[in-house]
Amino acid sequence: MGKKPKVGFYGLTGCAGDLLNIINCEDELVELFDIFEIKSFVMASSAKDESVHLDIAFVEGSVSTEKDLEDLKEIRKKSNMLVAIGHCAAFGGVQAMHLGDGKWKDRYKKVYGGEKAVTLTKPIEPKPLSAYVKVDYVIPGCPISKEQFLHAAGRLLLGTVPNLYTFAVCAECKWKENECLLLKGLPCLGPLTRGGCGAICPSFGVPCIGCWGPVDEENISSEFKLLLEKGYNREEIIRRFRIFGGSERAEKLKKLLGVKK
Amino acid sequence: MKRVNIEPIARVEGHGGIRVEVEKNKIKKITVDIYEGPRLIEQMVVGKTPEEDVSITSRICAICYASHRLAAITGLEKALGIKVSKKTELLRELAHFGEMIESHSLHYYLLALPDLVGYPDAISMVNKYPDDVVGGLELKKFGNRVMEIVAGRRIHGENMRIGGFGKIPSDEELNWIKRRASELIPVIESGLELWGRLEIPDYMEEETNFVCMEPGNNQFGFSGTEIMVSDGTKVDVEEYKKITNERVVEHSFAKRCRYKGKPYTVGAIARIINLGDRIKTPIARDYLDRYYDEKKWKRNPIYNNVAQAIELLWCLEKIPGLVDEIKKAEYKPVKAKKEDGTGTGGVEAPRGTLFHSYKIKNGLVAEANFIAPTTQNLDEMERYMMNAAKNLLDQGKEDIELPLEIIVRAFDPCISCSAHLVRVVKKG
Repeated sequence: MGKKPKVGFYGLTGCAGDLLNIINCEDELVELFDIFEIKSFVMASSAKDESVHLDIAFVEGSVSTEKDLEDLKEIRKKSNMLVAIGHCAAFGGVQAMHLGDGKWKDRYKKVYGGEKAVTLTKPIEPKPLSAYVKVDYVIPGCPISKEQFLHAAGRLLLGTVPNLYTFAVCAECKWKENECLLLKGLPCLGPLTRGGCGAICPSFGVPCIGCWGPVDEENISSEFKLLLEKGYNREEIIRRFRIFGGSERAEKLKKLLGVKK
Repeated sequence: MKRVNIEPIARVEGHGGIRVEVEKNKIKKITVDIYEGPRLIEQMVVGKTPEEDVSITSRICAICYASHRLAAITGLEKALGIKVSKKTELLRELAHFGEMIESHSLHYYLLALPDLVGYPDAISMVNKYPDDVVGGLELKKFGNRVMEIVAGRRIHGENMRIGGFGKIPSDEELNWIKRRASELIPVIESGLELWGRLEIPDYMEEETNFVCMEPGNNQFGFSGTEIMVSDGTKVDVEEYKKITNERVVEHSFAKRCRYKGKPYTVGAIARIINLGDRIKTPIARDYLDRYYDEKKWKRNPIYNNVAQAIELLWCLEKIPGLVDEIKKAEYKPVKAKKEDGTGTGGVEAPRGTLFHSYKIKNGLVAEANFIAPTTQNLDEMERYMMNAAKNLLDQGKEDIELPLEIIVRAFDPCISCSAHLVRVVKKG
């Protein structure tokens, strides 16, 4: 990848938590700015150069306005590699929990009171980056963990691919020898959720809410059945599944519930 | 017509731009444009349980998630008839301090100081100001560590629950927090000394009103049940709308806030102006006596930066006593007493007063309204920039971009949380 890779850090619509967690690399920040040639990191620096071609673009946030979309396309065009960082970029974030239900415009009107005025940029229903452009790698999490970011950045720097966890939170929970919260009757989404967070919430005795997004081989039918057995009703389970579930889980749920009827 | 567009505003959390229109060397219009897209969080939480609401609404903002979580929890607990145990109250305060320390050090050292000493970012300052950059990062790391231990994660921790905590920190962890807080006091003292050597711009000065929560009992602090205005007015938090008066502007989707028809300021500077005489910890008191000049501070938002540094120092001085109290206090988780009710939580986020207001029906959120600090400060930013631009152009200055950015950054705006403020500007 040459001497110093040129990189850019960008944020679309979200809470900026993924970029903030990169700034939260307090011990590594000075080195990070040295290893990479940082061409754009608006949240951290006013020095920027958007005219150059980038080796890597890290992008957080969901596409929620036409300006987000224009920016994303621009970034994609000028970058060899595009890495989606965080749940919003990877799955759409909490703002995409109702994605595709056809009621986005109604919700929008309720908050803004109408859509007749000419706006700075046109708002659109929030979607992940992959809905519009090719995403090379995903660093999941709400927010991403500093450890996984540094690992992935290091691998990319060496010209190889990030090797992030592809298994569920449960594995990390077992490593930590946590008591299983599902066995205690709590609505833990660990079995459905991508690991890498260090099973942080279950380690605090708090059931997983699924903020790292769905693990590839999630078995929603089995978790659904289990939660029904534990006394949760259908609506509660669907609601919980959807908060961080993204559109793919929404589709799986549709199929599952269709069969059940 | 000459147009100056500063977009995006660097070293500000979220996406905003400043649009300035100048005609024949006279300023026509200045707007803070918010490009951050809408997430409709107030609608996302309708139909959710209070617990789910807390997990979703704390995601409004990464930097002040703990404040969002605390405002939500406070409002919801009120609606559900929950009165938490002393230990829960004190631990929440400690997490809140952690966030203040993290957020203020990030802003003071990494975002604001580079302007005032002339660098594009803090990392570029490292050769000339190594102790301050490294010290600032150490303070930030400590604030983050406090949040990891108490709130469950640096960002979006889930340990603070309705009615209590998932897990109570161990004595060992609490003792570490206590020790480390004291060790870091000299770091912020050095940062405050640096402030004394800076030249503070005064090209925007004008009086205003300041709003913050009234902590009660003649104490300084970051939460309360009443709202306090610098004109002496106090209102119950349930009547927050009397202060914020959110309104839709004809030419804008933006809901803006005005008190008695005028913009007002929230944030560290408002807290120090309204409550500063209650700061009793010796070192913070000392710096406050040295730096506080009422005439200046009430007219100049740049002092928000040093107000943050003094608050940070106050937190560090308060932590040892707070930790001792936490260790002594009894913990008891508390469950909801009812399934219907209303409640508003008001807390001081690092960048100002934050409200989460709820109506709960059959155990689910029926209505939610949130007003974030930056929402309240946006009109102020525009007004002070207008003053600055007029004065600077009158003085024949042409390069007004940086001076205007310095004003916006002084408010430490957090644009993610004020995202439903898409500003519409008619051209021409």
